[in-house]
Amino acid sequence: MSEDIDITELETPELLELIQDDLYDGLAEEVVASVNELLARGMTPYDLLNQGLVAGMDIVGVDFRDGILFVPEVLMAAKAMKAGMEILRPLLVETGAPQMGTLVIGTVKGDIHDIGKNLVSMMMEGAGFNVINLGINTDVEKFLEAVREHKPEILGMSAMLTTTMPYMGTVIEALEQEGLRDQLLVLVGGAPLNDAFAEEIRADAYCRDAAVGVETAKKLLAIKRGQLN
Amino acid sequence: MPSGRKGQVRVGTNLLQAARELGVELESICGGKQTCGKCQVIIEEGYFPKHGLTSRSDHVTDLSALEREYDQQHPLDGRRLACAAQVLGDLLVTVPEESQAHKQVIAKAATERPIDVDPAIKQVYVEVKPAELGDPRGDWERLAQALEDQWQLRDLVIDPKTLITLQSKLREGEFAVTVTIWQDREILRLQPGYQDGVFGLAVDVGSTTVVAHLCDLRTGEVLGTQSAMNPQVRFGEDLMSRISYINSEPQGLFRMNRSIIKTLNDLAEKAASEAGFTLDEITDVVIVGNTVMHHILLGIDPVQLGMAPFALATYSAQDLKARDLGLNLNAACRVHTLPLIAGHVGADNVGVMLAEAPGEQDGISLIVDVGTNAEIILGDRTQVLVASSPTGPAFEGAQITHGQRAAPGAVDRVRIDLDTLEPRIKLIGHADWISPGSPPPPIKATGICGSGIIEAVAELFLAGIINSRGHFNQGSAVSSPRILLDGRTAAYQLVDADLTASGSPILITQEDVRAIQLAKAALYAGTKLLMDQRGVKTVDRIILAGAFGTFIDPFHAMVLGLIPDCDLEHVVAVGNAAGDGARLALLNRGMREKAVRMARSATYVETPLETKFQDEFVAALNIPHATHKFPHLAGRLPESPEGNKRQPRSRLRSRQE
Repeated sequence: MSEDIDITELETPELLELIQDDLYDGLAEEVVASVNELLARGMTPYDLLNQGLVAGMDIVGVDFRDGILFVPEVLMAAKAMKAGMEILRPLLVETGAPQMGTLVIGTVKGDIHDIGKNLVSMMMEGAGFNVINLGINTDVEKFLEAVREHKPEILGMSAMLTTTMPYMGTVIEALEQEGLRDQLLVLVGGAPLNDAFAEEIRADAYCRDAAVGVETAKKLLAIKRGQLN
Repeated sequence: MPSGRKGQVRVGTNLLQAARELGVELESICGGKQTCGKCQVIIEEGYFPKHGLTSRSDHVTDLSALEREYDQQHPLDGRRLACAAQVLGDLLVTVPEESQAHKQVIAKAATERPIDVDPAIKQVYVEVKPAELGDPRGDWERLAQALEDQWQLRDLVIDPKTLITLQSKLREGEFAVTVTIWQDREILRLQPGYQDGVFGLAVDVGSTTVVAHLCDLRTGEVLGTQSAMNPQVRFGEDLMSRISYINSEPQGLFRMNRSIIKTLNDLAEKAASEAGFTLDEITDVVIVGNTVMHHILLGIDPVQLGMAPFALATYSAQDLKARDLGLNLNAACRVHTLPLIAGHVGADNVGVMLAEAPGEQDGISLIVDVGTNAEIILGDRTQVLVASSPTGPAFEGAQITHGQRAAPGAVDRVRIDLDTLEPRIKLIGHADWISPGSPPPPIKATGICGSGIIEAVAELFLAGIINSRGHFNQGSAVSSPRILLDGRTAAYQLVDADLTASGSPILITQEDVRAIQLAKAALYAGTKLLMDQRGVKTVDRIILAGAFGTFIDPFHAMVLGLIPDCDLEHVVAVGNAAGDGARLALLNRGMREKAVRMARSATYVETPLETKFQDEFVAALNIPHATHKFPHLAGRLPESPEGNKRQPRSRLRSRQE
């Protein structure tokens, strides 16, 4: 299909729109081609990230939340996003563009469910965050170490069992004791959780799915930054 | 209450708990977390002279935040979630039909399988030298000598409870006794004179259903089968909620252990009295169950099974005394539990292996036990692999908008006409198919159970209403008043309001389809990993096991992509294979050793840790699968119409320009 379109002939706004649509369709090669074309035209990596890739993933996120897209399509989109990001990331660092923020995420100790947490990771990367994925079966020490090392704005925790979700509270208590809690937004998710549980363990929010996770992260971060400014 | 129960409960007790205390079981899938919405009740208003009380809606606590949230998504119409509403004063509560916990429909019945009868329990008749002056030996020593002389049985021990009866039984029989011996080692019972008849119980403790077969240990005959719902369901539907209950309630383990022991005593009592004898006649019991049921039954805290690395207290077979567990059978009765394999692969799976013996077949057998945790067994003579895949409770009706367990009133069969898109359904408890326009059945539909939702989703796909990605097709290609559009998604109206107990239609929503996709993908991906590890591309036969298994239609299971491609003639549902395994081990002691060999030689695969699991899982989310072919369904699947392909957004748009 890609031979139908000559991207060099498209106006820049159209090409940005094409990136968004190709992301939606999970077409990694096409996204890469368009990103390179726009960079060649002199667009800044930061504008390209926000107006192309992030805007495209926003649409994916909304349709995932609404049940129109499902996990396989979202993963395809995230892979296309990642392909585009690989080109942009070094340029963003080089140009000193403002960072969206860093997320440290892991499935808590005793729990070996990986997929839901990986989906959140990819969606957050898609939204422009720098993501440190600690994997599964993550204990307090590992969370604390990662928080100290990477100084993330957000800590994400996942649990899929009613028996393992209390461990999220254990992590938060440890963060409080170490004086690390206040600098962080703590977001939690997983099938057996709900808002009341998140409140009980003093997390900042419960996120029902990966799309809600991205929305919540952006919203709470904006509020926090607004207050800090 | 329709049950007519009444009584006093403490202020602050929630209605779910109150109902339980008064002996009324309500449906509850989430175990009281205010999320499943199954325990809805109606608070009656006014003075009720019959009961001598004034019931008012403010005699319970206000709507909780979670309840409000539930109400917004699924209007409660003034009903309350019993687990949320706490008693503040006098109340008259009506439990609507769909909220009552029904007696389960149990698809478990002992099948006739050839069993070589060689039980652990034997009876022998001996004549003992009477006591006399000058012989200082005790009666026990004289009996032991007689057994050695007449039966060549040496080094026997006698159960201390049996020893107590020794002298009176010997004299009652004028020094002739019938001796019941376990494993040629231990004397369990003495009966005066010559007697014959030894009996045992084979028990399968499932998470939702408990089944006991009373067997004649000489003939192998099944004298009676009794079943009941597992009473632990009220503490939590799935295994993890039960472990959580134990973690949070100091008395939790004790309560759950007592409740299952009581149920086993009740089942034994019923089976024995129907067969016309007393519990004293039962001297051997074999029990199978999943790892959590096994641990709780033995009084072992299952906390370690609630989290990785899922450490078992022991995976060995156990030989115990029934009395130590609190079972009121013969005072010296034995209990044998089959071995376990891994944290989530239990004695029930060993029972299935014993009954189906995949390791004795030439072709590759795939056995799936579908439930909240699906267990998968794959293998042949060369190697048998096992895994457990977390499918979640969707197949048991939970997490489904109108889901329920298999009970009277549940939709369990669904057909959708390819042209009119009209449904035909069957309800549990009513034999005939129900079509729109056919005379209303005598019972009302209350919800949809696991087999119903599997068939419904497969039929929606076959009819082209949903595409292979599980999304309700858009546009005019499929149009019917039954397809209720909701933004860019939709729902299918399966049962009209006038046929349901609640008076609201029963729908299959986009979210329901998604829940089933996730559950079936976990099962399929687990199966695929075992096939890869065994190095096979196809399987030769598929066995759908479990109470649920007897109801799953092989064709629909394959269309959905729950199981891999296979000749449909070689896909069978076997019912309670775990219980059959328990019966084999009860009637043949060699089977107990065989079970241990099978358990120890099976290769356990921790599927979620396999690096390929995520890719396999994602590919298996499609219906039936993103890439795998199903040659045995050729001609029966919809020909990938335009709606089944993803329509690229802009690239298509620009071509149209």
